[in-house]
Amino acid sequence: MKNLPECLRSIVVGRPSALGEESPLKRRFFRDVASVSILMLAGLVVGLGINRLTKAPLPLVYQSPEERFSASLATLISTPPLNLLPPTRIQLEQFRSAVQDRAAIILDARPSVFFKDGHVPGALNLARDNFTRDFQRLVPILKLAEEKPIIVYCSGGDCHDSRLVANALLVLGFSNVSVFTGGWDAWSAAKLPVSMGGAT
Amino acid sequence: MVSSKTSGVDGRCHLRSIHKPNADVAIAIISLALGAIFIYAGTDKLRDFLVFADSIAAFAIVPEKLINLMALGLPPFEVIAGLMIALPVGRRIGSLSIALCSVMFMLALSSALMRGLTLDCGCFGTGTPSRARMWLEMCLDVFICSGALYVYLDVNPHRYREQA
Repeated sequence: MKNLPECLRSIVVGRPSALGEESPLKRRFFRDVASVSILMLAGLVVGLGINRLTKAPLPLVYQSPEERFSASLATLISTPPLNLLPPTRIQLEQFRSAVQDRAAIILDARPSVFFKDGHVPGALNLARDNFTRDFQRLVPILKLAEEKPIIVYCSGGDCHDSRLVANALLVLGFSNVSVFTGGWDAWSAAKLPVSMGGAT
Repeated sequence: MVSSKTSGVDGRCHLRSIHKPNADVAIAIISLALGAIFIYAGTDKLRDFLVFADSIAAFAIVPEKLINLMALGLPPFEVIAGLMIALPVGRRIGSLSIALCSVMFMLALSSALMRGLTLDCGCFGTGTPSRARMWLEMCLDVFICSGALYVYLDVNPHRYREQA
């Protein structure tokens, strides 16, 4: 008598000795795989439909974050950011006092999905992913508070978004821009206050 | 009704039906749990296709031309599969879809782990990339795959075929 693993093996491998030439299980399995393939195509069609309805549809061919950022920046400035000095880096204590005293404009460079899930209180979302649109939205606020320093953060650790956004702001004429390297990871690890919700 | 797998006198696999109400309840619970997980995972990815496309690209195993198509197709597929496994009528195809999806995630994760990459899988929501999280998601995939296969084999239409 064959046991369960043997039967399973027969279904997947399809050995004639176990299943016979006309195995209904084997036929059924391949028919099911064909149905799953049709389901995948249906998923793709639905996904393409949803994508068309979104505000910023995803192009059909993938662009890396660097390519997207360059393209986005190219729409704002005529020349790429060459030979830029790296923005100043600040640590958690300095960042915390700037947040508490409202002494700086805090910018969150992470995608809006992460921003909505939690961000530093008072931070504005200038996502690297969506730089052009977010920048145009925030220009009035940034111009009004031109004398204030700007501090940019992203996830923390190895994330490059804050550095890219800070560099772009320097190119666009903002002089007092720094990066909080600890980012969201350091802020949340220190159990400091958190705000939730949509892009501010 | 659930089935037990045995072989008949002709050497073929036959699935004998045995009445086990508790097992039926277990199948229903597993199906609903898997359905809920996949509906959650799919809708979470639908929130931002771009984030999911970046997660796929980080694995460096999918050709660039296919990354966005995969990012667009996989989340609705997960939602549909989640809905199907939750409904008795589509349970067989839903469970097989989920099993195949989990196998795909497992292969991608193990390839990344073997290459020493630390990334956000994006399989069940987004988060900070970490090796520990990758291992956790791998374990979750193993459980999901096992559960889905269990459901798939139980709802096979030949289970009512009595042994000769």
